[in-house]
This record gives sequence, C-alpha cells and structure tokens, in this order.
Amino acid sequence: MSTTPDATPPLQPIIPAFHLRILDDEQSRQLKSATLQVLDEIGVHCPSRKALEIYAEHGARADLGSQTVRIPPDVVLRSLSCAPRFYVMGARSPSHDLNLDGKRMFAATDGCGVETIDFVTRVRRPSCKADIAGMARVADALPSIGFYWPIVSAQDFPSTAPLHELDAAFNNTVKHVQSETIMGAALARYAVEMTRVVESDEQTLRARPPLSLLVCCIAPLGLDRDGMEAALVLAEAGLPVGFMSMSNLGATGPATPAGTLVTGDAEIVAALTLIQMAYPGAPVFHSMMPGLMHPRTGAYLATAWEGTLLYPIGVEMAHQWGVPSLAGIFATDASTPGWQAAGDAASSLMLCALVGAETGSGLGLLESCRLLYPEAILLDSDIYHRIRIEAAGLDTSTAALGLEVLREVGPRGHFLKHRHTRETLHQRLFSNLTNQPAPAGGYRDPIEVARETVQSILENHHPRPLQPVQQRELQRILAAAGREMER
Amino acid sequence: MSGELKPLEPLKTPFRLQYLGTEQLDQLQQATLGILERTGVKFPSEVALKVLAEHGAQVDFTTQVVRFPRDLVLKAMRSVPRYFQVGARDPFYDFHLSDGCTYFTTDGCGVETIDLETRQRRPSCKEDVARMARVVDYLPGIAFYWPMVSSQEHGRTAPLHDLDAGFRNTLKHIQSETIMGRRDASYALEMSAVIAGSAEEMRKRPNFSLLVCTIAPLVQDRDGIEASMVLAEAGIPVGFLSMPTLGTTAPATLAGALALADAEVISATVLTQLVHPGAPVFHSIMQAWADPSSGRYVSYPLDARGRYAVVDMAHHWGMPCLGSCFGTDALEAGTWQSGSEPALDSFMIGLTGVEWVTGLGLTQTYTRLYPESLLLDYDLYQKARYALMCMDINAETLALDTIDAVGAGGHFLAQKHTRTHMRDAMRRAITQQIGPDGKYREPREYAVEQTKWILAHHQPEPLDPAKQTELDHILAAADRELV
Repeated sequence: MSTTPDATPPLQPIIPAFHLRILDDEQSRQLKSATLQVLDEIGVHCPSRKALEIYAEHGARADLGSQTVRIPPDVVLRSLSCAPRFYVMGARSPSHDLNLDGKRMFAATDGCGVETIDFVTRVRRPSCKADIAGMARVADALPSIGFYWPIVSAQDFPSTAPLHELDAAFNNTVKHVQSETIMGAALARYAVEMTRVVESDEQTLRARPPLSLLVCCIAPLGLDRDGMEAALVLAEAGLPVGFMSMSNLGATGPATPAGTLVTGDAEIVAALTLIQMAYPGAPVFHSMMPGLMHPRTGAYLATAWEGTLLYPIGVEMAHQWGVPSLAGIFATDASTPGWQAAGDAASSLMLCALVGAETGSGLGLLESCRLLYPEAILLDSDIYHRIRIEAAGLDTSTAALGLEVLREVGPRGHFLKHRHTRETLHQRLFSNLTNQPAPAGGYRDPIEVARETVQSILENHHPRPLQPVQQRELQRILAAAGREMER
Repeated sequence: MSGELKPLEPLKTPFRLQYLGTEQLDQLQQATLGILERTGVKFPSEVALKVLAEHGAQVDFTTQVVRFPRDLVLKAMRSVPRYFQVGARDPFYDFHLSDGCTYFTTDGCGVETIDLETRQRRPSCKEDVARMARVVDYLPGIAFYWPMVSSQEHGRTAPLHDLDAGFRNTLKHIQSETIMGRRDASYALEMSAVIAGSAEEMRKRPNFSLLVCTIAPLVQDRDGIEASMVLAEAGIPVGFLSMPTLGTTAPATLAGALALADAEVISATVLTQLVHPGAPVFHSIMQAWADPSSGRYVSYPLDARGRYAVVDMAHHWGMPCLGSCFGTDALEAGTWQSGSEPALDSFMIGLTGVEWVTGLGLTQTYTRLYPESLLLDYDLYQKARYALMCMDINAETLALDTIDAVGAGGHFLAQKHTRTHMRDAMRRAITQQIGPDGKYREPREYAVEQTKWILAHHQPEPLDPAKQTELDHILAAADRELV
C-alpha cells in the first residue's frame, strides 16, 4: 500500500451536445394529469402516522384508519413548487461535487447486490462490507463514476448494514455517496451523524451534502413507513432524498406502459409532496425504474424490447414536476459478463442522457442488480465512455477539418507521415479494454483485461483517507448504533 | 414452408436527432467544395474523364485528376432525387425511401464462415450466401439483403453468383457491394430484368441496387465507377461509399476525414447526375481508425462519433443515406465485445432519420460470418425499434379505472385489463427465452438453434423454373466471358 494517497481523477460526466424529447406536450400533459387524478381520487397507502399527520396538516385527505392519503391537485402543485430544480450534491473532495445543473449527467454504480464473485477465489458468495470498501476504491479510480452507491450489502453486519455500507464508502472514496438502504428514523439519525463527521460545517453540509438517500416506494401506490421516516430525517438535515418506483408492468402496475408509468409517478410524487410539505425547498429527486413482468415466469425484467423506453420517459416525467431525476441505466438480467450484459447496457444510458437526466445508476451488477462481478464495472465503464463521447458532438473547427493537410497529401497519398497525424492521432480515444494487443498477436479478451484492471486498481489506488479522528468517530457511531439496533 | 408473407418491420420513429448544427454542416459542405475545387479527385476512367470534361470540370488527362468548379457541383447535385422507390422480387417487399422510416440490411462481403454444422472456420461459398438469404427472408426487420459473404468458389464472377443466390433465396431487394466493371454490370442488369420480367419493370421497381466503394484518399475505382454508370443508365439505384481510415488514408481528425470522404462520394454522385440527371443515388461514409500502436483497422474505438454525423451530411446535400451499424471488431459472436460495440448503433442511427442501414451479422470487422450473429444483432435492432416507437397514451393505456379497482397495495394479475394487454405488453428479447428447466436460455445457443430452425423450415417462394434457367444461362455466359 502506498503511503501517500492517490489522486482521484476528475469526473467525466456525459455532456450531450444534442437533446431528445420523447413525450410531446400533449402526452406529458396526459401523464401529469393522470398522476394528479390518481393522487386525488385513488390515493396512496402510507403506513406512517407521522407522515399522515404532515399530509393532513397541509391540506391532503389523510385517513388514519386505512392509512391512505388522497392529495388534491392544487396541494401537490403548491408543495412541489418549493422543490429546487437544480442543486449540488457534494463530495468529500469539492472538485468531485455533482452540479445538477441540467447540462450534464453523472453516473453511479449499481447498489444493494447480495452476492459477490470473490475478487481472489472467483467463487460466488454472500456480499460483505469489504466488498463495498474495495469497490468504492475502484469507483474512486474511474472518471466514469460520478458518485457511489454501496454496490452490495454489508451482510456481515445484519442489524446495521446500511451504516456499515456508509462507513465503507466514506472511508474509501472521496466522491458523493448515495445510500439506498437507510430505513427508519433511528438509522437515519445515525447516518446524519456520520455525515456530520465527514462534513462538520453545517452550512457546507447543506450547500454540498456528501450523502443522499434513495427510498423505494411499494407498488402499487404504497409508501414504505421506514423509508419515508428516514427520508424525513435526512431532508430535515438538508441531505437530498429521492424516491424510486419499481412498478412491474402486469403485476404491480397495469399491463400497459402508460398505466405503469402513471402508477409509479403517483407513488413518487406523493412522497416528494410529503417532503416539500415538511421541509419546503429540501433537495429531492425523482426516479422511475419500472420493469416488465415476464408473462410465463412473473419475473421482473428490465431489458425486454419495449422496456428501454420507460426509463427515459421517467426522466422527462421528473422534469415535468420540476425536480432532477435519477435514471435507470445499465440494468442487465444476464448472469455473467458477456454479450447479453453488453447489449442490455448501452441503450438506456444514451436515451436517458439525451433527454437530460441529471444522474443515473448503476454500473457493475448482473442478474437484475443482485450479483457483483468486480470486472463488470470496468466493462460498463467502457460502454459509458463510448456513449459519453458519442453524445459530445463533433469538432468541425478549421484545425479539425485539416484542409491544408488534405491539399498537401492529395489523391492517392497517405497521411501516415504528416505532422498533423502525429499530433492528433494519439488524441483519438481508444478503449482500454478492446483492441489491447496480445503477446502472441491479435487482441486480448476484454473481460480478461477488465479483470486485471480491477486487480491493479485494488492493489494500487488508495484515495485520500478520512482523518484518523474522523475514522474513530465513525467507529464510535457504528458501535452505538450496533448496540441500539441489537437491543 | 413459404406461408404468408410477413410485412417488413422498419424502424419508424417520431423522434429526431440532428447530430450536427446547420453551421457545422455548412462548414463541412464548404470544405468538400473546397477539396473538389482545389485538390481534386482522381478518376482513372477515360469514359468518366470525358463526361466530366464535357460538362465543365477541369480534367487533367495525364494525372487523371479532376477539379470541380463549385457551380458545376451544386448544379449537378440539384437533380439528385431525395427519395426513390426500391423494388423487390415480390412487390409485397417493395419500399419507398422516406422520412422517419429506416430500413435495415445485413452486413456483406465477408470472406470466412463458421460452418453452422461443423463449427469449423472455412472460406465462404455461394451456399452460405443462399442460406443467409433464406434467414433474411424470414426476418421481417431485415428489409433487404446484402450478400453476406462472397461466393469465393466462383472467383471472377463471384459478384454475379452472389446476386444469383440472393435472387433465388429471398423475395426481398438485393444490394450488391461487389459488382465491378461495365461487363459485370451488364450481366447483372440482364439477371435483374429476368427477375423483374422486363427492363421497363426493372426501372420502375429496381429489384437490386449497387454500392460502389471509393478509394481513400480522393480516388475513384475505375471498375466501380464504370459499373455505376451502366446501372444508373438503367435506373438502378447506385450508392457511393467512402471508407477513410483516420491517420492513414485520411487526416487523423474526424472532421477532416469526413470532409475528404464526402468529397469522394460527392464527386462520384456529380458524375452520375451529369450522365443521367435524376438517377437514384445514395451517399454513404463508413470511417475507421488506425490503431496508433499497430496500424490496425479499428471500426469501434471509444470515439466513433462520425458514424452518425455522416447521415446529416448526406441529408444536407439532399441525398438519401446508407448508414452503417454493426460489424464488430470482436473475433467471435456472442461475446461481450460483440454486444457492447454495436449495442447503441440502431438507436443512434434510427434517431438521425437515415433511410437505410447496413449491416447486421458479421464479426471480425465485417469479414467473418457466424450464422447466429445475425439473430443476435437482430435482437439489438428490435430493441431499438421498439424503444423509438411512439408510445400510446390514451384512456385505455392509462388504465385509471384499473388502477382505481386495484388501489394501493394490491396487484394487477387478476384484472381483465392485464389479461387483455399482457400478451402484447412484453416483447420477448432473445435473452428471455425459457428453456425446459424453466430458466432463461443462453442467448447465443438459442440463436444457433433458431438459425437452424429457420433454415429447416423457411423456404421462400421458389423462382419460376424458366427464370432459373435464364439465370443459369446468363451466369454460364458470364463465366465464359469473364473468367
């Protein structure tokens, strides 16, 4: 291990030179109006007394008996008008802050997997905290990764796994961390305490929050009590919170894409409304990641032929409500890195980037976000860069046109010896995985190259650590949380 | 099984992406005009040089380099039709190039085949061209056929045998990328007229078209250009394809390489329009990169931007475009690389509004045929086709009554709405095929099996025996004359 910390390379977000709009104005209006109608007439199940009371105080019709809340359209619209459209998600290192300004898209790893292909033995096993730490360092070394989702679960710490995931992440990357597992007010308070260790200045913490939380809704039309109560704690502390719907077309959503999108949107908007009622102006985000039910097996599929369009439409729906989005990217149902995983990956990322997604997750898992192959993050990263560059547009400056060079070479010549070629060919971007010469001629297997690269990062990349005093403080908090949660 | 014909499934989308801004397109077009006027293009064909000289181009008959005054280029380009009719053996598969609709084809001209039965690698042959034509005939998303590999056992007349295998094994349009020279082109026309029934019908509904490669930098191929002149006269659509390699046969900057390639394509197009104003022509650029460490030809670096910019360039000239997709550099089908490289292609090219696109099904930089590769690429194509379709939003698809009936916390499994729509709700990808064990099958294995199934069960309507005999006679005559 090196004694001095390694520099974390600058982030390389996707900055599209051109944009796409999938829904026209009328379609957007139809979807938004349907969501408002669902919220007003059907309502959302919310098994949190605290949340129901907030809803009731702000003009929603909350029924404490059935734990259902119906929200009139004007209440929704008034509440969401407080939500910020743009804000910053901070990082331990300020140069790695995520400026959600609507002009660039940052990608995160996938998260919350439950199994790992062991880095050394290559044997499949339950995930553990060390996996999160190791992959945080890999994520730290990759400019494609804008922020880190603890990629698997710290199952070796069952009662406080979400906090240990946070600990592993804060200690091993200087980038923003987004949790998808902190549930319940008590855990959330510990998470806020840990975040205050990382960033002790209250004003800075609110301006550049190093932690955010994503909470899953329960389709159809259900909010999770612990999730909502955790979100309220974080929102009070100024940490961004987002809500994700994973309604499954045909099972927990109607069997038509529009119906499933509306079901999911109503869940998310109900949650966003609650946060804005409680803490007007709190940073929030919207995340729509529906699946399609396989008609024969009932499985959740993220990659059916028609499924690709749903994620970018989710992004457009978020923007309709005036909040940033977390898009679904890179999901694959494949069990091993290969053709299927590669084919599944690219399309949703490109479409989400072109419709203006601010953030997206996640790279690096297989088997529908359950299995960590350490090299998968490198393979996904290669695809990410392909898309990033593709979306950046073309340079048609005089220098790039190179007409003088053409004139000098003329018909039937070649450009190999020309100074312009020497000066510019190396600026062209080639993959670090494909086209890698093999010692015996030909090219190496990209998956093998990816595996070696991960190994090399794990051996050699050690980002700036937390101060020893901060590390000790995190340990103290974890110990206290462990004692409380195991009681 | 011939059965009922399945309608073509082109990619139709209401979404549009203009990759280059108008100012950038003007810059590129001005660059092309500058190259044509000052640097010039070599036309090593006496026939072509005479035509160009007669119409006011500055022709140096010694160096065979032609310089084109701007006015001449712009005037000639005015007669290029923006869209045209594409015929097929069966009128059911005719299509008209149009806005918002993109037709895909296979890759072509590969030289090696992985035998479907023995899995051994061997040189390609006419039987491969025939078999893959039958697979293409079966797949509604493939609108026309590029003979995927070369009929190498026929040597000099391989291109005519490729055409023959295509005509006999698919009812769809054929596009050749190998017919070269005036005589070969004349034989191809004879074959086409046999299929169409008459030269008149062939002109009205051309059942084949030709793509001619230029030679970068800034040279036309004599045989290619002369074949194109013969076909254009007969009303057969002709396209010109430039394949510059950044750093070797083109400048190492994308914009420069594209301007150079455009100059090659436009100079050939101008010639065609001078000879036959209004002849159907199309534009195509497929650039590649030289690996700086080895000089090898790479078609999928990380930065492959020009792949889609060229469509805007063609349209800026008012021409239809043949776009380029697939053709991975991976050595083998079904690998991570063969999936990751082309995964995005169909989406991006579909968004540009390109008229037609090659080419699914080859690996190792379009040289090697794994028969199953076509179905794997086809799956990526269909994913893009569905993703870019307009979504239905209406009372039925919003399903608010059903959502109301289920309410919060229920499920939709028992709903009539679910039963009505579930069958169409999920378009199953090749990755979601269930095996006997209830698990998803390995996509490549499934693709191999499906290819075999198509070959065993799908036989398009055979050609009339009299027409088959006629084709035999033409091929025999060509073999005698050209070999």
